[in-house]
Order: sequence, then structure tokens, then C-alpha cells
Amino acid sequence: MVLIEMKVDTTITKEKLAKMIDHTLLEPSATYEKIEKLCREALTYGFFSVCVNPFHAARAAKLLNGSDVKVCCVVGFPFGATTSEVKAFETRNAVENGAQEIDMVVNIGALRSKDYELVKKDIQAVVEAARGAAVKVIIETGFLTDQEKVKACELAKESGAHFVKTSTGFGPMGALPSDVKLMRKTVGDKMGVKAAGGIRDFRDALRLIQAGANRLGTSASIPIVEGLEWMKFSKSWFIEEIPCKICPSRHASLAKQPKEVFLYYKERCKTCPDKEYNRFYEK
Amino acid sequence: MNGWMGKIVRVNLSTSKIFHQKLDENIAKNFVGGRGLGVKVLYNELKPKTNPLSPENKIIFATGPVTGTKAPTSGRYCVVSKSPLTGTIFDSHSGGFWGPELKFAGYDAIIIEGRAEAPVYIWINNETVEIRDASEVWGQDTHITTEKLMKETDSNAKVACIGPAGERQVLLAAIINDKHRAAGRGGLGAVMGSKNLKAVVVRGTSRVDVADEEEFSEILDESLMVIRKNPITDKSLPTLGTAVLVNLVNEHGMYPTRNFQEGVFEDAEGISGEKITETILVGRRACYACPIACGRVTKTSEKEGEGPEYETAWAFSAQCGINDLMSVTHANYLCNELGLDTISTGNTIGCAMEMSQNGFLKEKIEFGDANKLVELVEKIALKEGIGKELAEGSKRFAEKYGCPELAMQVKGLEIPAYDPRGAQGHALAYATSNRGGCHLRAYLIGPEILGTPALVDRFKPDGKADLVVNFQNLFAALDSMILCVFTSFALNPNHYAKFLRTITGLTFTDEDLMKIGERVWNLERLFNIREGFGRRDDTLPPRFLKTPLPEGGSRGRTVFLDKMLKEYYDLRRWDSEGVPLKSKLRELGIS
Repeated sequence: MVLIEMKVDTTITKEKLAKMIDHTLLEPSATYEKIEKLCREALTYGFFSVCVNPFHAARAAKLLNGSDVKVCCVVGFPFGATTSEVKAFETRNAVENGAQEIDMVVNIGALRSKDYELVKKDIQAVVEAARGAAVKVIIETGFLTDQEKVKACELAKESGAHFVKTSTGFGPMGALPSDVKLMRKTVGDKMGVKAAGGIRDFRDALRLIQAGANRLGTSASIPIVEGLEWMKFSKSWFIEEIPCKICPSRHASLAKQPKEVFLYYKERCKTCPDKEYNRFYEK
Repeated sequence: MNGWMGKIVRVNLSTSKIFHQKLDENIAKNFVGGRGLGVKVLYNELKPKTNPLSPENKIIFATGPVTGTKAPTSGRYCVVSKSPLTGTIFDSHSGGFWGPELKFAGYDAIIIEGRAEAPVYIWINNETVEIRDASEVWGQDTHITTEKLMKETDSNAKVACIGPAGERQVLLAAIINDKHRAAGRGGLGAVMGSKNLKAVVVRGTSRVDVADEEEFSEILDESLMVIRKNPITDKSLPTLGTAVLVNLVNEHGMYPTRNFQEGVFEDAEGISGEKITETILVGRRACYACPIACGRVTKTSEKEGEGPEYETAWAFSAQCGINDLMSVTHANYLCNELGLDTISTGNTIGCAMEMSQNGFLKEKIEFGDANKLVELVEKIALKEGIGKELAEGSKRFAEKYGCPELAMQVKGLEIPAYDPRGAQGHALAYATSNRGGCHLRAYLIGPEILGTPALVDRFKPDGKADLVVNFQNLFAALDSMILCVFTSFALNPNHYAKFLRTITGLTFTDEDLMKIGERVWNLERLFNIREGFGRRDDTLPPRFLKTPLPEGGSRGRTVFLDKMLKEYYDLRRWDSEGVPLKSKLRELGIS
């Protein structure tokens, strides 16, 4: 058996990694106390921002006032299915409440209907309403084929957004390296790529950075940053797992995805050069 | 000294002599305390091939410099002795409140030697240490013993005692403190019994000095923030207890069922943390200074007690094919009262069930028979009927009936609730454990199943030797400080080093800490080699190496032990027979 090590930057410091993280709490049940705790943690660790729902933006802004931790607010979350007017209003309101970054969900239904003009206008409405605040477009990869992911990224770029982002964390899939790589390739170096959804440990984080992400959205920020302390004791953390474990096809689920998207992923398994590793009953 | 109390008390039960001695500062720096201290003392003082149940064996109750401070989970102590079950050096750990009380009484450790002529207990009341008559409590269970001895000494005293099982020198006997907490593994309760020692009762009123209060307070805040942000230490363990693992491990197809014949238990849900919470749970209980509070206070129609925890729930359910939570809980209560290790007891009964299934036994002991389970627990503790043979543990029992391969043990210690075929690193950790089949020498379930600190491929043997070495070293250091290994789901070696540094005022880095763990590990290895252990003992029952799991999430898997073991020896810088090279010992300062 050939031992393959992941190619990741193991020299990254805790401080540098923290500055790439949007420290996230988007649970609908989040209380004021939890938001306050989130902000305190962000200040302690020096995360780039806290990422919250619109209702909590003002509270977070107040708590972080005077610090260099930004407030990032989601819009049209998590389905992206509200109208452009509503998204624009939500954005203006969030900015007025102190949000410095906006993570909007693309209109997934319109995108999959190939109504590209609407998708573009939808994003433009938010960019305009953001009045200079950085806008990240969540394309929700789990609902899309690779061709649709590419299209979504192109539209985001053309609309003047600042970042493309993989997932909401509430959709069918989280951030996977192959998607981040595809998104980075599509948008180039001048735009940001944010990986979000299911990033649980430092291994995930470093791999997504290696794939091209320059921002991470996660609620496991502290375990991730603290986990870096383990790196120096063993190289074995970075031995690659079987390819299926990080392949979108492995994560495909008929219960969560449209039938044709699910089948798109499963079809790929049939011709995959690594199909010998595919043991779907294994957890 | 800060952190340490600087004092050890030595009690000889044969001569009734009690000595106070200073803690050797060099030993403290190099072995820290707890497990490290106990191992060092036992290695230096015990003659090779000593009969573990003879007066010549010693039993050491040890704390560490962190014990009794405000550091999270610093309520633990450990008991070190030569195990009558395994014949290896053995350290058995427990939480609760006994450990800090010993520190508050002014001692880092008690070394107990010899054998009393009649039953006694040791009463430590700050600087006063006495050997007292225990005839009043001899024969009593651990709960009654605890209550009576508290009444006889001090209502605030803490009691670590044995039950009827320990008195009868059952090789699965535990030491029980605070009624429900157990230094369970390795039969160290039998060592106490062999010395006619019923209990060690302590009361202390001093405090543990911390070298740098300000910096200690900072690391305390930092570590609590990390613990409270980790989903396992903040949510899973406090809410559902350790039995939160039942469904997860079952879904991974590595929940040992019917003596490890299968990896999926069809009734796992019925003994899960969720089920315990909705049926018998009446409260949570935390050990001293523990922010996690995984302890379960439970109540059945008959009585109230603690548990079952994950390992116990498994040992009396899936391992024995039993789906009755009440019987499982009752067996658990019985073990606490009679003073038995639940893991070894349940595992040994499961072994007997498979032996019965395969026609090796005349007595019918069937999988799924809950009444038989409860009956056997009592019989083992009292050494009655077939219980007398089962009281020797699964290895001796299965060997006696000509089927050693049916005993699921390593070095004589029964394997706990994770089938090694589902996690290669964890399998190696079992095989190389210095105290036998144990999940807490290096809990590779963390990285292989739970994703702490990061998720690695559980089926790949590559790189696992390195991770096992790292975790064995770290856990040996934690067991010496002493902190609960549950903190390692959230904290990292740097946190631990900061605790040790700020408490003792000495310079400890995370790398020093790992080196201390490595030193302890190698000294334990030398002890075991002296006792005749070697490469042939670093193995697993043939089932795990040859028979694939039949179904579930680990279907078709066996353990790739040879490959990992060679890498492990190389990384440890041990020769091909598993003997540490002289250069390694010199490096560790134990040549």
C-alpha cells in the first residue's frame, strides 16, 4: 500500500488560521447569550469575523465595536428563494445594523432553471445594497452539478460580488476540496473563495485552504485552531484517506437532493478510476 | 514545592509501621506523580516475579501535582500495583473526590506493603495516620462500608474500599470510592483483599499551593472556554453521559456483540444514552472540579445508583446479547456494591456464553439470559459455583476448558466496548497496551471515530503506529498529572503543559510532557519484560486477525497487526522483540 500524504501547509500559525475564519453561529435557536459568547470567543482568538443571522447583527456589532473582528451577516438564508427586493432590503438593513460582510444565498431554483439573467440581477441587487461591504455568494454546491457550479461562480463574478462560497451548512453537502478547487479555477485569483459547511477539524481546514479557499466558515473554529497544536507531534495526521471519503458522490443523498443531481453524482462513480475504494455501507 | 505536597506516607501492614518520607524532587520532575510516580516506585522496589497476592506486593495510591487544584477534572487518583489478573504492572484510575482529599491531607501518595493479620483499614486524618480494625465492615458491601467508616471517622471523610469480591481475592475485583466510582480494572481490589485491607479513609483540610495564581487563572479560563466549545465535552457527555457512544459505535459496526462475534447489536437503541436519559436518569453527577459531569445518577424500581456508563452498558448488554436495561442497570449496581470491574465481569460472562453456545460448558449459560447475568455477577463476587472459575477472568477460564481463542483479552485483561476490527489504530493500542486490553492507554477512537482532534481514516493502518505512540505518551503524562482523559477531546498538549507549569512553577513544555509520558511508558515496558512479557504478548485474539466482521459498517474487516506492530517498535526504538534499545533508555534517563 502506498502511503500518500496530504499536501497542506503545516507551517500555518494559529493566528494566521484564525484570521481566515468566519466564526459562525447560524442556528435558528441561538440565544443572545450564545451570540455574546460567540463574540467573546472571536475577540479572544482573533477570528476574521462572526457570522450571524440578520436579527443578531446589531447585537454583534455592538459587542465587537472598536475591535478588528468584523460582523458578517447572512441574507436570503438558507434557501435563497426570496425575491431580489427582499434580499436587497435585508442587506441594507444588515449593513445599517453594523454588518461589514454579507453572505447571500444565490437563487438556486432560478439557476437550475437557467434563468441566468435573474440570478445575476439578484446578486447585483445585494451588491448594490451592500454599499461597499464585501458580498459572498453562497452557491449551495449540494444542489448543483459541476456545470451549474461553474455557471454560478461566473455569474457571481460578473455581478460584482467579492467571494463565492460553497454552502450554507443547511443544504445537502458541506465544503469539499474538489468543489473549492473548481470554484477557485472558475473565479481566478482576484475573487475570494469561502469554504463553509461541515468543516470540523484542522485537517479539513488545511485541505480546503490548499484547494484554494481563502476564507473558512465554521462553528468548530476553536477546535480547529486548537487542533493545530497537535500537528508538530505527528505527520500521520496528514495521511490521505480513501478518495471516496471526500468525493461529492459519496455525500450524495436522494433524501436531500433533487433526483437528477443525485443521479449525476452516482453516475460518476461508475467510471471513477478510484471505484475500488467504494464501500457505501461503511460509515 | 507547589502542586505537590512533598510527602509520601508508607504503611507496612505486616509490622504496623508507618513512615513519612519526602517526595524525591527528581522523581517528581521526571515522573510527575500519579501513574508515573507509582510505576517508578514499583519498578524500583518490587522484586521480579513477586506473587501479586502475596504480602511482598505493594499497592500505591497516588495523586499528581494537578490533583486538588481548580484545573478541570483534577479530582482523580490512581492505584498502582502488580496485577493479579494480568501479571503486568498496572495502574487503575478513578474520579470522584477521594484523590483531592488525600492531597488536602498533605500527601502525594500512600505506599502500602505487607499483609495485616486481621482485616484493617487505614485512616488518614491530615498528618495522623492509623491502622484500624475493620472487622466490623469486613464482609459488607462497599456502600455499607463507606457509610459505616464515615460514621466511625469523619462525616466528611472520603472512603476507597473493597467489597466482598476484593475480600475473596476475585481477580476482577475493583476498588470503589465515593460509593459509585471505581478504580476498576486489573483486579487491584484483590490486592487489597490479599493484604486484609478493607479501605483507605482520608480526611484533609489543607490546600494545594499553585506557583503562579495569575497565569493559572488565565489557562483555567482558556481551557474552560475550549472545553465549553467542544461538542463532545460541552454537549454529548454532559447530556447523555458516556453511553452517548452506543448508537454511534453501533452504526460504525464495531459495537462488540455476543462476545465479539458480531459488530452490530440489534437492540443497541435500548441501552443507549438516549434511552437511559428518557427512562432511568434522575440526575447528573460531576467529579471534583469537573465541568463535564458525565456521571449518571439513575433509579430503577428497586434502588438508586450510578450508571450504567458506556462500557458497563455494553458489557452487560451487547456482549451478553441482553436487551433489558433494568437488568443491565441492576448488574451495574451489584458490581459497584460487591466491588467488581464491570468491563471484565461482563466480558468474562459473555465469553462463558459463547463457550456454552459451542458446547465447552456443561452449565447452560445462554446469550440473552438476563436472569443468569445477574446471578453470575453475584456468584463471581462471592466465588460461588461456576462463579469461582469465572472469578479468574476470561483468559484463565477459557484456557481451562480448552478454548483460549474465545477469551477476548490482551495480556489477560478483558477488551472493552470497541471491536478493534473497526479501527486499526485502536487495535494497535489494545495489542501494545502495557496493562492489557484497555481503551484508555491511547484512545484512538478519538481520531478514528469521533474526529478529535481530527478525523483520520479508521480502516487504514498507515500512520497509526505514530498516532498510537503519541497518544500513549500523552495519556501516560495525563495519568501522571493527573487529569481525566476526557479533556483530551477538547484540550491539546500545550494546555496540559501550561497547567503543569503554572501549578508547579517548573518549566514544562508540551514536548517535555510527551517525553515524560514516553519515560513512563518505557519504564512500564521494562517492568513487564522483567516479568517475562515480550513481543508474543503484543497481540490480539485470533478472531480479530483472521475472522472478518460479518455485517454492518465494518463488514469484512480484520486487523493488520503485523505491519503496524513493526512500525510501532521502530518508532519506539525497541528491538524486534519489543525490548527498548539502550540508546532510547539513555535518552529517557532510565538506563
